[in-house]
Amino acid sequence: MNIAWKEIKKSKVRFMILGSIVFLVSFLTFIISGLANGLSQDNAALIKNLPDGQFYMNEDAEETYNLSLIDPSIQEKVLSKQEQAAALSIQMGFLNDDEDKQRSVAFVTSTDSTLFENVKEGEIVLDRSLEEEGLKVGDTLTNNQFSGKFVVKGFVDQQKYSHAPVAFINMENYKEMHRVNEMQLLFIPAGNEFPAIKGLQSFSNSEFLNTIPSYSAEQLSLNMIVWFLIVISGLLFAIFFYMMNVQKIGLYGILKAIGVKTSTLFKMMWTQMLFITVIALALSIALSQSFNFIAPDGMPFSLTAVTTVQLSIVFLVIGFVGATLSGIQIKKVEPLQAIQQGEV
Amino acid sequence: MTIFTINDVRKTFITGEVAEEILKGIDLSLQQGEITALVGASGSGKSTLLTIAAGLQPASDGQITFNGRNMTDMSQEQIRKVRASEFGFVFQSAHLVPFLTVEEQLILMLEVSQSKLKKGQQKKEIGHILKLIDMEHRKNAYPASLSGGERQRVAIARAIIHKPKILFADEPTASLDSKRSKDVMELIRNLTKTLNITTLMVTHDEEMLAYADHIITMKDGLVE
Ligand SMILES: Nc1ncnc2c1ncn2[C@@H]1O[C@H](COP(=O)(O)OP(=O)(O)OP(=O)(O)O)[C@@H](O)[C@H]1O
Ligand SMILES: [Mg+2]
Repeated sequence: MNIAWKEIKKSKVRFMILGSIVFLVSFLTFIISGLANGLSQDNAALIKNLPDGQFYMNEDAEETYNLSLIDPSIQEKVLSKQEQAAALSIQMGFLNDDEDKQRSVAFVTSTDSTLFENVKEGEIVLDRSLEEEGLKVGDTLTNNQFSGKFVVKGFVDQQKYSHAPVAFINMENYKEMHRVNEMQLLFIPAGNEFPAIKGLQSFSNSEFLNTIPSYSAEQLSLNMIVWFLIVISGLLFAIFFYMMNVQKIGLYGILKAIGVKTSTLFKMMWTQMLFITVIALALSIALSQSFNFIAPDGMPFSLTAVTTVQLSIVFLVIGFVGATLSGIQIKKVEPLQAIQQGEV
Repeated sequence: MTIFTINDVRKTFITGEVAEEILKGIDLSLQQGEITALVGASGSGKSTLLTIAAGLQPASDGQITFNGRNMTDMSQEQIRKVRASEFGFVFQSAHLVPFLTVEEQLILMLEVSQSKLKKGQQKKEIGHILKLIDMEHRKNAYPASLSGGERQRVAIARAIIHKPKILFADEPTASLDSKRSKDVMELIRNLTKTLNITTLMVTHDEEMLAYADHIITMKDGLVE
């Protein structure tokens, strides 16, 4: 006979309240971490979607890629040795359409590479979000620093930088617009050797992401929120299980008096905790995943399966630890206590 | 035949700075299949003696022998096993498990005592005892919906379903009226006699002494 299950069946309300607490905190955590991830995609999808590798920028730029200029001769050397390497530049700017509507974009240009869109002079490839805003292939766009016109050549998915859609342009156009001859960055994908280059400082992808000031600040606060939620839910679990166990001291005493093993009582508690947590988590996973689909277009929300699984495991562990800590009382209960305390 | 002996058992409770000796060297023995009643003034230490004998709390000193085994030398786990399979308890209140039906209370006890009954036999055994306590019609009821007398009868059934060697009962009729008390005593007597169970019972009620084979009177922590 499964007494853990019998109790859940008889005290449905109590267990439902506990389950809904677990559900609410886990759901909130899923949503917030979905937002954190969504914002991070919105801020740096361009970089995050690159394979692992190594970025290089000029030492004198003091970790600010905007200020970095790569010496063309060094660039030449690296690119000739490493076929997959690319030099790139990123600049925030504006595009105007026929109706003179202005849109903020991140101009990105690169040397010939499979990692980035390769665009001919006078052409432009845009992030899909601009298509959703009404731009079409063949539209012409202008920029006040550019003498010619850009013709929209196509759209690509998930290319965002600094919360703006990315606009891939040709290197020659870029050089004219920003009056530079040098590129800002070199990128060598993993699988190649990463040479130490004199005068250049190297960064892994995540190190590079953290040099983008808005990115690290934003992620830091969002991750703080997620971790706070996890800590708070841990406390909530422990407190609720504790209160439940306190109410059940008499019961545990009786069960011990008739000879039930302490380990059986722990198993009973763990079974109940697992049951509640699994159901609550399943519900909040289902709901947050559907939120993934129904989230409004403008809302950066992205909750991956990996994050969901990771967080679920964290919640299970927290639930287990909380229940076990609060269950230490079970060990202490004396059978006599229950018998001397009146009616059950 | 003596099945259970208590030898010079002492119990001292320490409350704060004060140590008080409640049991001052008790000797008694229980004969197999007989009912021994423990009487005495309130506070004389009856319940304390009963719970020590039943392995629910340790004695400060002395020896308890059950079936030739020295209980005072046993580990917690060994005592738990004895409690689970060889002892039964009835207390002043029923102390049933609130989320189990009458029938399930008995199933639980059989499981805890690790009785080797098969499912079918278990059912039969439970049906039999439910008939004896006249609770067949309420076997699917939860404790909350039973009357005090019904609960106490279920508690008695739970205390003997696993055929313990010794039944410990602390004022089992205290919460019942005179008619119900007699019924319950009648029940304990019949069940223990048919199953050859040895009983140690604390009581306040003069009327209940009629059901006992022996009467032991306690006074100030000693047997008179
Ligand atoms: N855990 C304890 N700590 C301290 N003192 C205790 C404890 N248990 C019992 N006592 C004391 O031991 C004495 C005997 O208590 P006990 O319950 O054994 O009496 P009793 O004979 O069963 O009385 P009653 O007939 O009223 O049930 C009492 O004075 C009681 O206060
Ligand atoms: Mg008493």
